[in-house]
Order: sequence, then C-alpha cells, then structure tokens
Amino acid sequence: MSFLNVERLHKRYGANPVFSEIDFSASRGELVTLLGPSGCGKSTLLRCLAGLTPIDGGRIMLDGEEISNVAPQRRGIAMVFQSYALFPNMTVRDNVAFGLRMQRTRKDELERRVTEVLALVELDGLEARYPHQLSGGQRQRVALARSLVVRPRLLLLDEPLSALDARIRRHLREQIRRIQRELELTMVFVTHDQEEALSLSDRIVLMREGKIVQNGSAETLYTAPKDAFVAGFIGHYNLLDADVAGRLLDRSFSNRVAIRPESIQLDASQGIAGEIVDHSLLGNVIRYRVKARGVELSVDVLNRSASSLLAPGSQVRLAIAEESIREVA
Amino acid sequence: MARASMYHRLVVWLLLLVLVLPLAATLLYSLATQWSASLLPAGLTFDWYLRLWSEPRFLAAFGRSLLVCAGALAFACLLVLPAMFVIAYHFPRLDAVMNVLILLPFAVPPVVSSVGLLQLFAGGPLALVGTPWILIGCYFTIALPFLYRALTNNLQAIELRDLMDAAHLLGASTFRAALSVVLPNLRKGLVVAVLLSFSFLIGEFVFANLLVGTRYETLQVYLNNMRNGSGHFTSALVISYFMVVLLVTWAANRLNRDPSSS
Amino acid sequence: MKHRYWALLLLLPFILFFAVFQLVPLAWIMVASFVTVDGEWGLSNYRDVLDSPFYLQAIRYSLEISLWSSLLGLAIAVIGVQSLRQVDSRLRDMVISFTNMTSNFAGVPLAFAFIILLGFNGTLTLLLKQLGVIEDFNLYTKGGLILIYTYFQIPLGVLLLYPAFDALRDDWRESAALLGAGPLRYWRHIALPVLTPALLGTFVILLANALGAYATVYALTTGNFNVVPVRIAALVAGDIYLDPNLASALAMLLVALMAVITVVHQWLLKRSYHGKG
Repeated sequence: MSFLNVERLHKRYGANPVFSEIDFSASRGELVTLLGPSGCGKSTLLRCLAGLTPIDGGRIMLDGEEISNVAPQRRGIAMVFQSYALFPNMTVRDNVAFGLRMQRTRKDELERRVTEVLALVELDGLEARYPHQLSGGQRQRVALARSLVVRPRLLLLDEPLSALDARIRRHLREQIRRIQRELELTMVFVTHDQEEALSLSDRIVLMREGKIVQNGSAETLYTAPKDAFVAGFIGHYNLLDADVAGRLLDRSFSNRVAIRPESIQLDASQGIAGEIVDHSLLGNVIRYRVKARGVELSVDVLNRSASSLLAPGSQVRLAIAEESIREVA
Repeated sequence: MARASMYHRLVVWLLLLVLVLPLAATLLYSLATQWSASLLPAGLTFDWYLRLWSEPRFLAAFGRSLLVCAGALAFACLLVLPAMFVIAYHFPRLDAVMNVLILLPFAVPPVVSSVGLLQLFAGGPLALVGTPWILIGCYFTIALPFLYRALTNNLQAIELRDLMDAAHLLGASTFRAALSVVLPNLRKGLVVAVLLSFSFLIGEFVFANLLVGTRYETLQVYLNNMRNGSGHFTSALVISYFMVVLLVTWAANRLNRDPSSS
Repeated sequence: MKHRYWALLLLLPFILFFAVFQLVPLAWIMVASFVTVDGEWGLSNYRDVLDSPFYLQAIRYSLEISLWSSLLGLAIAVIGVQSLRQVDSRLRDMVISFTNMTSNFAGVPLAFAFIILLGFNGTLTLLLKQLGVIEDFNLYTKGGLILIYTYFQIPLGVLLLYPAFDALRDDWRESAALLGAGPLRYWRHIALPVLTPALLGTFVILLANALGAYATVYALTTGNFNVVPVRIAALVAGDIYLDPNLASALAMLLVALMAVITVVHQWLLKRSYHGKG
C-alpha cells in the first residue's frame, strides 16, 4: 500500500456529481499533479483531501490510517491556497509561526524552526513585513513557508502559481521542486497548466469532468496519451480522423490518429510530398503549417537560424517515424 | 476653460456658504453679549460657554447621552459581530435576508415605531418606557444597518473562507480562528463604524423625547426643553454639541484614511 | 456539519432583540390600526383619518413639504456635485468632509440655528430687511419648513450622489464633444440617462427622509404645525387626547405612502436602460 491512497472517492453538490470513482495513490516523497481544465473537480478533490469539504463516499488513507472523517486540524496535512490566504493582520513571521503556536511549540524551538524555514524559501530579512507590503512571489513563498514549518505528512498546493507572471512562475516552480526533493515531501499539486505539470511531476493524474482520464508518469502521458482528450490537453498534437490519416499515410486505421508536431521531419530524402502554407515563431521552435495530400499538419522544427526558414510555397518531403503514430480512442 | 472653472468654484463656494451659514450664525450668537436688531453683535464673550459647562443639568444630560450611546453601541457590537460572522461563514444565503431586515430601521421612521413601542413597553413585565434601557434597544436598531453594512464590506475585503480554512489546517479551532484571524482585520472598520454611529446617535431626538422624555433627560431633550431660555445659552449648547460631533467624525475620517493603522 | 447548527444559536440573541425593538412594534401597529374604539376589528380608524379635513391637511402638508424639499435638495445637490468634481481636490475634500458633518446637523439643533438665522428677529432676516430685499419672513410657515427641510436634504443628496457621478467618465464628454455635442446635449443624451437610477434612488431616499422627519418640525413649531409625524406623536404622547389605534392607522398610512413611492421607483428603474440588461 502506498503512502497516500484515495479509493473510490466521490462528491456531489445536490444531484450534480463534482467527481466520482476517484482512485489514485502517491508514494512517500512523490509529487503528484492533479491536472485538468477548470471545473473538472480537481480543486474540490484537493479540499476533500484536506478535510475542508466533506466527501460523499470512498476512503482516504494516509500512512496506513484512514482519515476520511478526521477533522482537518488533525490530519497532519498542510495546504497552500490559490489566494495564499495570508493573514493580513500578521507579519510574515507571525503568519509562518501561526501553526506552531496552535501546536503550543516551545518558544525557542518555534523561533528556530521559523528562522530555518524562512531561510529555506529565501525570505530572510522580510520577517517584519505585512503581506500587503510583499510582491506576489514573496507572498507565495510565505504561504509555502507557513505550510512547511508544521512539517506536514502531506502538502497540498492549489494552483499556487497561477496568479504570478511567467518568469517568477518558472523560478518558483523550480524552488518548490527543490524543496520537495530536499525534504522528501509528499505533495499533491493542482494545476490546469500542462507545461507546469510536465516539468514538475513524478506522476500526473489527468482529470476531466469529475473523472480520472489517465494516471501515469509525465513521460507516459506525453508520449502515450490514452485518448484524444489527453493528446489534445498535453501539448500540441495533430489529431486526424481515421479516414484522413489513412489518406495521408496510405493505409487504413480504425481510430483517430495523433501525431506530435515535433516527430515529423521536413527534409527527408524520400517521403510524402508537401507544401509549406505558413509559419509562426514559438521562441526556440518554428511551427509550420504544411499541406500534404490535402491534409493540413503542424510541424515543429528547431529554430536554428533565420536563413533556414522555409518560405510559403516551398516544397518539402515529410517523414513520420512509425513509433510516433498513435491511434487514440 | 477659465470661465468654466470659475463657475464651478463659485458653485462650490456658494454651496459651502449655504451649509455654513446657520452654523456660523449660531456660533456668532453663542459668542455675543447681546445681539438684536443690529447687523453685528454688541460685543463678544465666552460667558455663555462658561455658564453652560458649569450647569449641572447640562452635564448630567450630556453624561446620560454618552452613557446611552456607548451602551447601545457596545450592545450592538455584541449582537452584530457574532451574527455577521455566522452569516458570512456558515449561512451566506442569509445575507440577502439581512439586507432586507436592515432596511426596516431606515424605512420605518422612529415616530412610527414609537407608536408600537409606547404601547408594548408601557407596563407589564417589560415596563421599559421612561428608562434608558428602551433607548439602548432602539438605538441598537438605528445603528444596526450602518454597522452591518460597514462590517460586511470589511469582511468582503478579506478572503474569509480561505483564511478560515488556512487557520483550521494549521490547527486552530473555529472560535480561535475567528478571534485571532478575522476579528483583528475588522478592528479598524469596526472602530470607524462605531464612531460614525455615535455621531448620529448622540443627535437622536425622537425616541428620546417620545419614549423617555424628562424621566432620563438626554442632550437633545435637554436642548429642546431649554428653548424658552436665552438664545445665547442654547446657541452655546448647539455649538458644543456640534463640536462633539465634529471631533468624533474627524477622528473616524482620520482613522479611515490612515493606512498604517490597519 | 453539526456545528453549523450550533452556529445558528449565535444568531438567536440578535434575532430576539431585533424582533423586540423593530418587528414586534411594527406588527403591533399593523394590528392596532384595524382595532376600533370598541375593541372590534374594522376599518374605522382609517375612515376617521380619511374623513377628517384636519388629518387630510396634515397628509397634504407632509407631501407638499417633502416633495418640494426633496426636489430642491436634489437639484442643488446635482449642481453642487457636478461642480465639486471639477474643482481642485483640496477644496473638494474640504467641502465633502464638511458635508459629512452637516449631514448630522438636523433636528433640534438645526431648528434652533434656523431660528437664530431666520426667525422673526433672526440675523439674516434683519439683514435682508435692512437691505430692503424682503418685507418680512415667517419661518414658521410651509415655506419656512420647505426651506429648513431643503437645508438638511442637501448634505444627504450630495453624499448619495457624489459616488454615482463616478459612473460618468471624462472621455465620454470628450468623445461627445468631438462628435459635435455641446455641454447641454451631452447632459441631455448621455449624462442624465446614465445618472437616472442614482437620481431616482436619491430622490426616493430624500422623500422618505422628509416624510418621516419629526424632530425638526417639532422643535421649530413646538408641534403646532400640521404634518403627519406631528399628528402621530400627538396621538400617543400628547397632553390632550390620546388614541394609539388612530395613531397606528396614521402611521400605517405613512408607511404605505413610502411603500408606494418605493414601488414607483422600482417601476421607473425597470424602464430606464439599466433595467434592460
């Protein structure tokens, strides 16, 4: 049995199910991401794990102990909120110390642990500030420190980076991952951002409309999507109907076919003849729209130099690696 | 453009003049030795104020007003704070009901309520008419809409649910969380709302006169009863009353604007 | 979630005291207004009010004074606020603060201030007489009451309208001007329609404020001017003749009047473009 086990959990509001038949687990020290579009039930699921929202059925097991009906205060779970939920009337230090005060931690130990955790999240020097005097990224780290300092058995993070701009987001993402590995923390991380999920997780649980669609490692979800939804949600795919794919690849398929844009080669010596329609620049990658046998495809090529750019109308030959052609339901 | 801005300044100054005029006249009258049938007073004196502030009946009435208003506001806070928290946290749907309820003290003039209050509390087990207790009860209803709106506005400014959830997860009980996380964030709003409520409660006359009258003479009733006395004396009284209101509203505004005290 | 229902207990004292001092008295009036002198149910109290020229006069005076003072107060407030938004912020803040304070300046102290200013020997009365502007001025008439009511409506109107003018954006005026609309046409076609709900709402509050006002008129005329609140008070706390049931009927009529005004307000609001969301 894993460290965290969620078994057949379900929850509804009135007659509407929020989620149902939720089964997943996390080993000790694993970072599991709940990924899905907004409204898929992932945030409610997280609140249920914390005990903030009651469940309607199923079990939650943590470290061999059933906690489904334990009060949130006694679960040993900490949570970082999307809004951070910093107490506006308290300084950074008091915010971080709050949980230890509630546990009646001895004064010297409290001081030591607060100082320690503030250093860990690189907030030393800002102890006396109030939340409204901090930047978004700093607030986020206070929220993280406040959750870490109580040494939770499980740390939950609800879209903790969604309110920040892209650069700070990437930086904090790495910081969270580093701290998680250092402290060997078990984490459940909720996000709707597939890039965040891919870069951060040991395992991704992809949800849609209250159900788990696929549960596996980041690599598995990326390279072997179970169906068209997963393919479409994780990165960019060329999704072709069975007959269209048949026309392009000259054989018959019974399902839809997904092909990653980066798995198509444009400069093959022999292959399918095509013509460049146009392109768009995605930073280090150029995404071409290519028409071949009446089918339009996206093709990603590394952006090496301006001179290698192919003009609209250029003739190309496409090669598609056999293992990158995936039939999906 | 210059003509337009002249016009606007003129209008604003005229508005100010109209608003100031009755007060200015009263102030001048309260400082005048004698003022009749002439454009300006015969001489200036501080005598009326000295006489007023050494008048035991005035001091007693002023003290009673302070007592009743402070009592009513303390009572109102005691009732409103828990109720407002319970509604915001546990029963947010009741907020709509509250918003209708708190319209009543606005919509029903005190003179109308007095009709019922006089009959209900004239005798029997709740013979409150003629005592300060009935004023405390009535002033609670007058201050309620104001306190409730001001406090819910403050409450909406913080993310109550997230803060409570965070405090719960960190090990605090609901009571503890409400006391150490929610209440401190409402403190400033509460003080401002209480001060402003005080400034209009101390001017309340209808309930005070109809329900209690001279049996527990408050400031406004005393002022009304002095109407046959010297105009200079009552002017000093009016100005003194207005100064108290001024002081209280000034303090409230100061506090409201001061960002560091949050 | 059992503790949710414990939480309801915390609401109880609040509900209890609100009921005792607000709901029950109102209910009592409602019931009492339908009880006749002989202790039977009936409409005789209402009939007495509506058959009496004296009470009808009180209603008419109340309506006249309230309507005129609200209209005048609103007009002055609109002109004032419009200019307030165009002057520099120091003057504006000063006037707003002062308005805030004078909004508490009503009732007995206001009546006394007006007696000193505009009474038979009031300083302004004497000044204007000497200048030959007026022959005489009687504060204790309908006109005088409209004047003093207007005075206490102005601060309230300014405070209620000031935030509403936020809805008017400067670039509307500028783009209207670029499209060829002068100030008047800008007001007629853009500003007024946008402000209509706020103006209506303010007017209704002013009207209700004036209809229920008792302290000012009582202190000014020692209860000798015939308006509805004075009549109600005289019937429950007067020296001559007490009839709480008749007072209840009169009070109910006053409340009904306000209800009618509110309904009309809601109806007008629905007809404005804001209601056509």
